[in-house]
Amino acid sequence: MQVEREIVFPASPAEVWEALTEPERLEEWFATEVELDPRPGGRGSFRWGNGEERHATVREAEPEERLVLDWDDGGGEVVLELAEVEEGTLLHVVEASPEWSTALELHALAWAAVA
Amino acid sequence: MEHGAGAARAGVGRGRVDGVFAALGDPGRRSLVEAVAARGSATATELAAALPVTRQAVAKQLVLLADAGLLRATRSGRETRYEVTPEPLGDAVAWMVEVGARWDERLAALGRSLARGTGAR
Repeated sequence: MQVEREIVFPASPAEVWEALTEPERLEEWFATEVELDPRPGGRGSFRWGNGEERHATVREAEPEERLVLDWDDGGGEVVLELAEVEEGTLLHVVEASPEWSTALELHALAWAAVA
Repeated sequence: MEHGAGAARAGVGRGRVDGVFAALGDPGRRSLVEAVAARGSATATELAAALPVTRQAVAKQLVLLADAGLLRATRSGRETRYEVTPEPLGDAVAWMVEVGARWDERLAALGRSLARGTGAR
């Protein structure tokens, strides 16, 4: 089970990578308070205005190409991939939650059986 | 499968339940529902580009899934755009819809941040 988005930004891969990995830039779009060591094995802490707090571990970090984070709470992974295109940089985002891979099927069958 | 279908047949609203059951009984249609949910919304053309099936085959299955109440169809120019109706599918799809909406907001904010960043340079 995953969520996927693709978007092109009129900026260079270097600029997008900076916005994806520098804590002060991440605080402009990802979370309210961010700590991140963007190297494989590095730790990330994210806090939001509603009090929510999540921690992650960097699994992969290929500058200007690919960043993969694993949520420490077992909530799956976030894969961010960059590609240079004519109009700027294509960012491909996948947030996956592996433990839910069969949930769609099971829930639908359960719903059909009891409804 | 047979037990579930029998139970559904005995209950109220059996037309819709049978429809959901039949619609999700096919692995290809299940993966189509997941593909639509993953993207937030999609057209037959977009899905056919990402899956090893023809546009016609995808369009036919999407109509069936919409008839079963699993997808909501809206006209978008010459194409029909589909999104998942979370109610019959519960938590899994609700998660996809919520996480998807958060990414839509984040990516819009990232776009604004990048516009400021490049402007400042």
